[in-house]
Amino acid sequence: MEVSFNLNGEKVKCKINPTISLLELLREEMGLTGTKPGCNEGECGACTVLIDGISVNACLYPAINIHGKELVTIEGLVTAEGKLDEVQQAMVKHGAVQCGFCTSGMVMNIKAMQRNLEHAHHVPGENIRVQPDRKNIMKWLEGNLCRCTGYVKIIDAAEEVLNKNKI
Amino acid sequence: MDFSVVSPQNLSQLRNAIRTLQRKPYRIGAGYTDLLMELRKSDTSDLTVINLAQINDNGLSHIKSLVNHVHIGAMVTATSICMNDDIARRFPTLQQAAANLASTQIRNVATIGGNLCTASPSGDMACAIVALKAHCVLMNVDGKKRVVPVVDFFTGPRTTCLKKNEFLYKIILPRNHKQTQHIHSGFIKVGTRNAMECSVVSLAYHIQVEESGYVIDAGIGIGASAPTIRFAEKAALNLIGKNMQNFTDENRNEFAKKVLTYASPISDVRATSWYRKEVLYNISKSVLV
Ligand SMILES: Cc1cc2nc3c(=O)[nH]c(=O)nc-3n(C[C@H](O)[C@H](O)[C@H](O)COP(=O)(O)OP(=O)(O)OC[C@H]3O[C@@H](n4cnc5c(N)ncnc54)[C@H](O)[C@@H]3O)c2cc1C
Ligand code: FES
Ligand code: FES
Repeated sequence: MEVSFNLNGEKVKCKINPTISLLELLREEMGLTGTKPGCNEGECGACTVLIDGISVNACLYPAINIHGKELVTIEGLVTAEGKLDEVQQAMVKHGAVQCGFCTSGMVMNIKAMQRNLEHAHHVPGENIRVQPDRKNIMKWLEGNLCRCTGYVKIIDAAEEVLNKNKI
Repeated sequence: MDFSVVSPQNLSQLRNAIRTLQRKPYRIGAGYTDLLMELRKSDTSDLTVINLAQINDNGLSHIKSLVNHVHIGAMVTATSICMNDDIARRFPTLQQAAANLASTQIRNVATIGGNLCTASPSGDMACAIVALKAHCVLMNVDGKKRVVPVVDFFTGPRTTCLKKNEFLYKIILPRNHKQTQHIHSGFIKVGTRNAMECSVVSLAYHIQVEESGYVIDAGIGIGASAPTIRFAEKAALNLIGKNMQNFTDENRNEFAKKVLTYASPISDVRATSWYRKEVLYNISKSVLV
């Protein structure tokens, strides 16, 4: 089966076995190992990617359904000048990265919350905007497990970057 | 895993795909948050997955607000439900159930159709749908629709009344009554930890109150307490005609006792049957404050 989609800003096409997950496609076929395999059952969030701007667990997403979509992985966040994304910078600044296994998934899910803040009113039907206070950030990140940091620094980082351009 | 996949692009291709597979094993895939794990654990040689994710059909994938009803397509995700302000305003029980299901990432793909068709006794959106006295619209391979009350949709643990030549097309919620001035509606989920957890017990309530404070309609759904989600009819009827403002302790106990008559919970790793009943009794009482 052939799928074509937009991967980190570039059009790609590939032939895939229809039973594989998006996580397998990324790591095993495309060599993009920034997206991490944790539980492989939707519990830990290490495999979080953005599909059309919303966060999804790549381990439970059939690769065939990426056809026609826009996919952003952690590799897609570096800027043209090679700089880290502002979410990544905030994580570094706050010391929110220890072993780093959960980090790419955390960053992608924080990006998704940022996008909800910017776009919620433009998406038909999806018209509630989640305020970036600590309680809502904690709820938004419930599906991302971290065994090292105790979460406080991750939430500090998210709170700072999500409130930066407060309207 | 070695199943094959067909991805219909519209409803008529979907019906044809189901028709072609009448004598073969097939499964329908929506958001795959239940199905993929199930397929990974089973022998899938000879199986075809009919993939709904690429179908372009408004009836299947939109929420539509009409004068007397709200239609929710089977492919509508938990996120779309909890972000919809018509649902948040008029059916808080469903909004809360969707908002507390699993995690952000799962809600973004998990569909209401999948939640119903999985027919888990602890399905969160399904429990709210029961309290709202909704109807399920099933469609067969000829395009014929069959409308069934959601309580009749569940026939046992993990079984539904769907025939092999049918799929779930949409869910219809009746609008609140015109005389309703206030709704007392919500979803209570008790688990062993906050997120991502199958509930130990859940309760969906949707109580419509007229201007003077009298209850004119009520729906109560209970989850994880019986082989299927149940509509606690006697408990709901018990509230009608009572004044929301002056419930006594006696009223609350009577209501909770009636809810409990629908519960026959099991003991498992998450909780004992006794504990589930105690919790259900107490959260039922807490609804009438
Ligand atoms: C980590 C994790 C946490 C979870 N937490 C919760 C929770 O808190 N609460 C909760 O309620 N659920 C939870 N679930 C279960 C699951 O996410 C939900 O039941 C979800 O709504 C299923 O929807 P889906 O679109 O992913 O269904 P799928 O997995 O695609 O399908 C589920 C079943 O329904 C059938 N089906 C789907 N659509 C149709 C249709 N239109 N017609 C006929 N048959 C159909 C499929 O064949 C399959 O048998 C969790 C799952 C995971 C992995
Ligand atoms: S690997 Fe996907 S959620 Fe854990
Ligand atoms: S930093 Fe190690 S799991 Fe989060």
